[in-house]
Amino acid sequence: MATAGASGGSKTFSFKVVLLGEGCVGKTSLVLRYCENKFNDKHITTLQASFLTKKLNITGKRVNLAIWDTAGQERFHALGPIYYRDSNGAVLVYDITDEDSFQKVKNWVKELRKMLGNDICLCIVGNKTDLDKDRHVSVEEAESYAESVGARHYHTSAKLNKGIEELFLDLCKRMMETAQAEERAKGNGASQSASSRRGVQIVDDEPQATPARGCCSG
Amino acid sequence: MSQRTERRGIHVDQSDLLCKKGCGYYGNAAWQGLCSKCWREEYQRVRQKQIQDDWALAEKLQREEEAAAYASSHSAHSQSTAAQHASVGHFSKFEEKKTNEKTRKVTTVKKFFSPSSRTTSKKEIQEVKAPSPSISRHASFDTDQVSKEFVDFLKNLHKPGRETYKQCRAFLLNMSSKKVCCPPETITVSISYQNKETFLFRQDLGADELSECVQDFYQNLADRLISHFKGSSESVEQVMDQVEKYIMTRLYKSVFCPETTDDEKKDLATQDRIRALHWVTIQMLCVSMEEDIPEVSENVVKAITDIIEMDSKRVPRDKLACITRCSKHIFSAIRITKNEPASADDFLPALIYIVLKANPPRLQSNIQYITRFCNPSRLMTGEDGYYFTNLCCAVAFIEKLNAQSLNLSPEEFERFMSGQTSPQFSSSDSDWPCSESGLGTTVTNPVLVQLNHNLELLTGLCTRQEAVMEAAQSLQADLLTWSDSVQQEVHNILEKYPLEIISKVSAIDANTDNDNLPSPIKPQVFAD
Repeated sequence: MATAGASGGSKTFSFKVVLLGEGCVGKTSLVLRYCENKFNDKHITTLQASFLTKKLNITGKRVNLAIWDTAGQERFHALGPIYYRDSNGAVLVYDITDEDSFQKVKNWVKELRKMLGNDICLCIVGNKTDLDKDRHVSVEEAESYAESVGARHYHTSAKLNKGIEELFLDLCKRMMETAQAEERAKGNGASQSASSRRGVQIVDDEPQATPARGCCSG
Repeated sequence: MSQRTERRGIHVDQSDLLCKKGCGYYGNAAWQGLCSKCWREEYQRVRQKQIQDDWALAEKLQREEEAAAYASSHSAHSQSTAAQHASVGHFSKFEEKKTNEKTRKVTTVKKFFSPSSRTTSKKEIQEVKAPSPSISRHASFDTDQVSKEFVDFLKNLHKPGRETYKQCRAFLLNMSSKKVCCPPETITVSISYQNKETFLFRQDLGADELSECVQDFYQNLADRLISHFKGSSESVEQVMDQVEKYIMTRLYKSVFCPETTDDEKKDLATQDRIRALHWVTIQMLCVSMEEDIPEVSENVVKAITDIIEMDSKRVPRDKLACITRCSKHIFSAIRITKNEPASADDFLPALIYIVLKANPPRLQSNIQYITRFCNPSRLMTGEDGYYFTNLCCAVAFIEKLNAQSLNLSPEEFERFMSGQTSPQFSSSDSDWPCSESGLGTTVTNPVLVQLNHNLELLTGLCTRQEAVMEAAQSLQADLLTWSDSVQQEVHNILEKYPLEIISKVSAIDANTDNDNLPSPIKPQVFAD
């Protein structure tokens, strides 16, 4: 689902972000660290770590982030399109100690670009930087690859809580830019992809003041 | 006849005797001055009128309730009057009577909803609701209930509520009129349209077009509501939920699994597919749930129940809620087993397992229905949407499932699919026939364990019964020999000591045996 969530004037962005990557690269740890700030903790209260939400306030704009975890097993690879349909961003995670998982990320990138074009913001994430001594994917290779496909590259460690906040914050900013560019292109305030796709004329919206309500939880 | 009247001199005008319709035939007082032919026609018309009248009355009562919802009833009044005209139009006599009746009722309704009585007392609300039983004559209980709730909900919203209600009604009428407008000659259709609870659809209107209509409506209404609520997305969502509930409850019958699609065929295909995959075990799917733990198996059962229950709901959002509940139970089961929050890696296989176990009815139809008619904002971004997407994934996986996806060799997969072998035994193929005790340990399926246990019990029972039978037979034999031996013994004794009857032994001879007898007691004298 695209951008400006239900409201026309006061911007509340709703973004859907899919988490892709092989099993065991630490997708779940990453997102749990981001949303609950916990790692391998027995006290994690959440029942599940496959669908998590986060509310952000970025430069006065409210952002609702919905993070969709996906099953990383090879046998579920074919189901990818069902998951990433209508998503605004994708976080592609690999394990820096596992060359194979980086290959998988490359496959995902190819597929996503083919299916969704440039509408989706891609983040390639090398996780487990705390195990740098066992690194099998070189920093240069990963970063140059990311650049070549129009993605950003990040290094994270869910265990040490490094680089994760930055990753998601950066992703949100980029998604907002994309959404705003899209809106400008449409030349009208409310642009929900559903509405444009269905060709519904948009009913006149009264311009609304942005409520100065802070709701930063992160 | 005229000659006769003239002769008797009764002042009856010629025209009075003729049929009042002016057809030229003579009339009869018993037929209200009509001739037999005209009378029959008139009679038919009156009957027809009566039927129409009943419809109109039912409709009117409903309109009044609607009018109640419209609070400021000026617009409502004119609208319902217009509708009244449309439905009863040419029966002017009845119309007149009814309009009087209606205006009276509407004014009372107006009174309830005039600004002064905005804080309506309980009694008044009940009075307003009073006409509803007459509506339920035609509406199913469900739809009636939902309409009432919807009206009640919108009452709190004042102006936007009225607006929303109007739009919903207009939309529903529009949807149904698609059928009505097409063949104008079929009056029967428009009569059932008056009933308003049965919304009929053009059968050739494809499911996608229907979906588009509904989605367009959601979109338009949401946009309007946003301007009403000044961007408070929560209230918009609340209203949209109610709107969805109201509209979809009414449209459900005509748009769920429509004949224009092959949904039904797909349903059957999926059902057969799941049946054919009955042998898939929890291990093959690598599900991290230990069904031996009672709490886990309890959650599994609940999850299965929830996913099956989905079919019984009408509103897309309620169906989604069933999927969500099912998912939550799966998460609980995984959480208990693994003692950590479930990731998608754990969740999807578990959901596939649940779907295979449950074989939910009309799965494809339900998925299509939700996709077509659910409010998109809920479906695409929310938590419910995530679980729904996973369900779609699970179904897609089940459809495409092959040997590789279960880590089996193609031959094995074929054998399982054809039902030649069952995976429980193939894993211990070599040892199970020879050692009965080994069977119990290798079998993990609780049903099979139970089965084996029962078989053992039955075998035990069988041997015991045999023992009982043997004992009974020996007892019978013993009894026979015993009675024989008793007879024999009696016989022997009788032979050994034959009964000799000595005839005079018992006779007492007073004269001969005097010596043996004690001397007779003689009387003694004490008092001397």
